[in-house]
Amino acid sequence: MTRQLNWPIIRLLMIKDWQLFQKQLAAYLLAGIVSLGFLGMAKPWAFYIGSLLLIILLVAIACFAISTSLLVERKEQTLAFVMSLPVSPLDFTVAKLAGNLLTFAVPFLVMALFTAIIVFSTPLPDGLVVLAALIFGHVLVAYCIALTVAMQVESEGWNVFVMIGSMVLINPFLMVIGQMESVQTVVRGNAVVWHAPVLAILAAQVLTGLACLAFATWSNGRKPAFY
Amino acid sequence: MSHLDPGAATAAPTDARIHAFDHLRALAMLSGVLFHAALAYSPLLHGFWPTADRTQSAWIDAFAWCLHLVRMPLFFAVAGFFTAGLIARRGMGGLLRNRVRRILVPLLVAWPLVHLATSASTRWAVAEVAHPSPFLSMVREWLAMPNPPALPPSTGHLWFLYYLLLFTLLAWVGRTLGWGSGLARAMRMPPQRFALLIPLLVAPGFLLTTTPHPAPESLFPQFWALALYGPFFALGTALHGRIDWLKPLHRWLWPALFACGLAYAIFLWQLSNFDAGDWSRHAPASTALLQALIATWGTLVCLLAGLRWLARPRAWLGYLARSAYWTYLLHLPLLFALQYRMLELELAWPAGLLLSVGLTLAVCLTSYELLVRRTRLRHWVG
Repeated sequence: MTRQLNWPIIRLLMIKDWQLFQKQLAAYLLAGIVSLGFLGMAKPWAFYIGSLLLIILLVAIACFAISTSLLVERKEQTLAFVMSLPVSPLDFTVAKLAGNLLTFAVPFLVMALFTAIIVFSTPLPDGLVVLAALIFGHVLVAYCIALTVAMQVESEGWNVFVMIGSMVLINPFLMVIGQMESVQTVVRGNAVVWHAPVLAILAAQVLTGLACLAFATWSNGRKPAFY
Repeated sequence: MSHLDPGAATAAPTDARIHAFDHLRALAMLSGVLFHAALAYSPLLHGFWPTADRTQSAWIDAFAWCLHLVRMPLFFAVAGFFTAGLIARRGMGGLLRNRVRRILVPLLVAWPLVHLATSASTRWAVAEVAHPSPFLSMVREWLAMPNPPALPPSTGHLWFLYYLLLFTLLAWVGRTLGWGSGLARAMRMPPQRFALLIPLLVAPGFLLTTTPHPAPESLFPQFWALALYGPFFALGTALHGRIDWLKPLHRWLWPALFACGLAYAIFLWQLSNFDAGDWSRHAPASTALLQALIATWGTLVCLLAGLRWLARPRAWLGYLARSAYWTYLLHLPLLFALQYRMLELELAWPAGLLLSVGLTLAVCLTSYELLVRRTRLRHWVG
């Protein structure tokens, strides 16, 4: 059975989320400009501070969007209010997914773009782009997993665990890919070479992310009721 | 119809005071043509400026750096004023839509075109000019290397658009986080006291960079540029709807101008002791403070003078105001192409300066008339 989505309501729900988010997003934007400013100083210490701040920011934005729009809402019983609107579980799912993805995708893509600019416009070896792509891929897949779990699981504890856990796994992930020959040989050079294992990991990350989102949409969309 | 700053409303101004700011914005932008043309004859920049001519004059340095210290602070103050006006009329969403159309799109379109045009004329000059500038000679040496170093990507002379976008974002940040009330509280201070304090606010920006300060052309936000131009942008936003706040300062116009002149004379004396080849030198605190004083008081003097003498609508100023954005976008590649050719001529610097500025403005204004004024392009860059 196909269902017509209620786009005006979806839009309103997204605007509501945006209005709830914007104060924190403003603070994140400010932090983003500051971290880019550090990178712009073109000094080794400033590079480390700037890039660390960017990664922290990226992880924080990913966790914050999920936490504010899903977990806090569940806790504060906002869903009960949403249920009073002419909105189906599928509309609600689409609004949550789209709002969350938008909140995450904009800073994610801006940071990915600036990371590439940093690598290509500074004396850093251009091959670092390969490592950066894998790290961004990890953050993306961690975000998608956390978002899916947050939409599926009613337990705040499990949500927080998955959210933090998937992001923290960046450390062992870095250790593993740092030992791969196809990464090791490229990151120190000026040629950007995408070896097959790297492409395979990137493809796996993208596919896992998409599969999670598709599952979340399918699973939540087929619910006959909100609970 | 009068157009405001790049990205500002295209609606007609409703009171004479907006005309003053509109005209000031145009003059600040058009003085950029004069400034960039003058740098070809600057002894201080001789080793670095691509079109540096054989003839130089210390008068050019005296003129150019004064202009440099005031015109962009003034521009950002006026831009802040119009930004606040746009927010008041159309809200934050309206401002962001306007900035995308009037700043982001022109930046993304003009940037590669300007880069390609400037690179093409520089390549021509490197290959053809018999009396190259030191910069061109250096490029020749680079090109002779087996692996010539590539210049890092930069925003070029369009950096002001990049910073306008950043300040628009920061205006949203400030508004969302409720910083507007802090700014309003600061404006409750008597303007005389404010005028004394504001150089201290701007000085860190000068302290963080070299002297004379460069253009922040990097793709990354530069702290010094944010610290230098940010307070002017904030001042502009705070002035919106409170233009009478400047009234008590009117009788300070001439004394402030005199103080600026004096501070500038000391700055020039300090500058003459600098090694022209050492551009990595950061300003000592005293020089930074002097520059901050010239920039802030010079900007206030320009605002006061604009309100006194440029408040009435004038057809020619209105025309310049409408064409200034297009002219500024277009002028540098044109100017470079002209000045590269003029390297071959033995012209005295006043003649060279007059000719390059005149021809550049003529081409820019003609192209504005033909390509922009009556076409859809005016919605973006008119």
